[in-house]
Amino acid sequence: MDPIKPSFDPVTLAIPFFVLAVVLEIALARFKLARANYETRDTLASLTMGLGSNVAGLLTGGAAFAGLFVYQHRLFDIPMTALWAWVAVFLLEDLTYYGFHRISHERRFWWAAHVNHHSSQHYNLSTALRQTWTGGLAGTWALWLPLAFLGFPPAMIAIQKGISLVYQFWIHTEAIGRMPRWFEAVFNTPSHHRVHHARNPRYLDRNYAGILIVWDRLFGTFQPELDEEKCRYGIVKNLGDFNILRVAFHEWAGIGADVARDPRHALGYIFGPPGWSPDGSRDTSAKLRAQWEASRPAETPAE
Amino acid sequence: MDKAFLIQLAGSAAAVMALVGLAAWAKIAKPLTPLDDARARRLLAQEFPGKPLERVWVATDGRGAVARSGASALVLFELGDAYVARHIPWAQAVASSFRDGVVKIDLSDVAAPMARIALDRWPPSPREAA
Repeated sequence: MDPIKPSFDPVTLAIPFFVLAVVLEIALARFKLARANYETRDTLASLTMGLGSNVAGLLTGGAAFAGLFVYQHRLFDIPMTALWAWVAVFLLEDLTYYGFHRISHERRFWWAAHVNHHSSQHYNLSTALRQTWTGGLAGTWALWLPLAFLGFPPAMIAIQKGISLVYQFWIHTEAIGRMPRWFEAVFNTPSHHRVHHARNPRYLDRNYAGILIVWDRLFGTFQPELDEEKCRYGIVKNLGDFNILRVAFHEWAGIGADVARDPRHALGYIFGPPGWSPDGSRDTSAKLRAQWEASRPAETPAE
Repeated sequence: MDKAFLIQLAGSAAAVMALVGLAAWAKIAKPLTPLDDARARRLLAQEFPGKPLERVWVATDGRGAVARSGASALVLFELGDAYVARHIPWAQAVASSFRDGVVKIDLSDVAAPMARIALDRWPPSPREAA
């Protein structure tokens, strides 16, 4: 196996499956056999973002060069043919994904690249394909470089990243309620990821997992889906239309406008949490959660 | 871009159009009924928890609402089969242009620049708005 160039791309191979799965979800919903809502313009926006992200990916070849450079200075030689190496890359890549995903929600610069994935008020398989156009430019790929430095071949990392992306497709659905308890305990599932896409204050910035939900349980960001609190999907401030350029770039434009208006606080606007403002007049997730906590009726202690 | 990539891109674009067509045919958007006062208040309370609603103006076509909450205007409007909400200074909402039964409210937000709400008249009289 070539350690540099992946012998296959899981995402490319999965495209026919993606298409068939969306067809199936729509058909099941049409005949009232499963729960799913599709709004035509929203679906067009999501799928066009997916299509565009393929093209945008071509512009970020720098990531591959960086990976190759780091791999040339690796600490160890990890064989692509060893089972233990695949187990290790599975775990370490998934942990890296958790970190990437968390920073993509908690810092505005990276949120600007990721927000489009959350900007639909729907949660269906087309939402899974609502992918970023600017992720490569935001540089989050650098988070995977330590794996290459450890000695995992770039091809192995690329394949595992692809497997993770393919895994995360099927969890973007309301058609599946809950998986068996053991599965929900270990893996990211539709139920866990519905919470991640919800904008209810209780659910904000929770369940960052890629494949294994154990990272959220370990790092205190896990929130189960509650029957009594239905998920409301989208972002705290939903988009005002379906314009694809707004979907792709609105947060970048917002950062630009804030910095131009108040350059003295540029660092806060760029690297603070989404919703940060110098006077605290805007709403961050933490503020919304605190307001929600404060407005909850006092819970009666268990007898 | 190599030829294989272009073929894959063209195939994906065709699949996108087919899927969008299928979604349109299926008519499985969320069912929306025109807003009435009670529903507008419920949605506004959900969007702006803790903000008191002093007065609510529901759009004549039921596709939006404006509410006053202290020095703020709470704006809610339909988008597709869902709603978008923003709060802006009340004075900004009052200054919005009103023509042909539609008030165009500048939301000062690149993510949702403008709301168009059908109302009988705008701005409300000071007595109404109080």
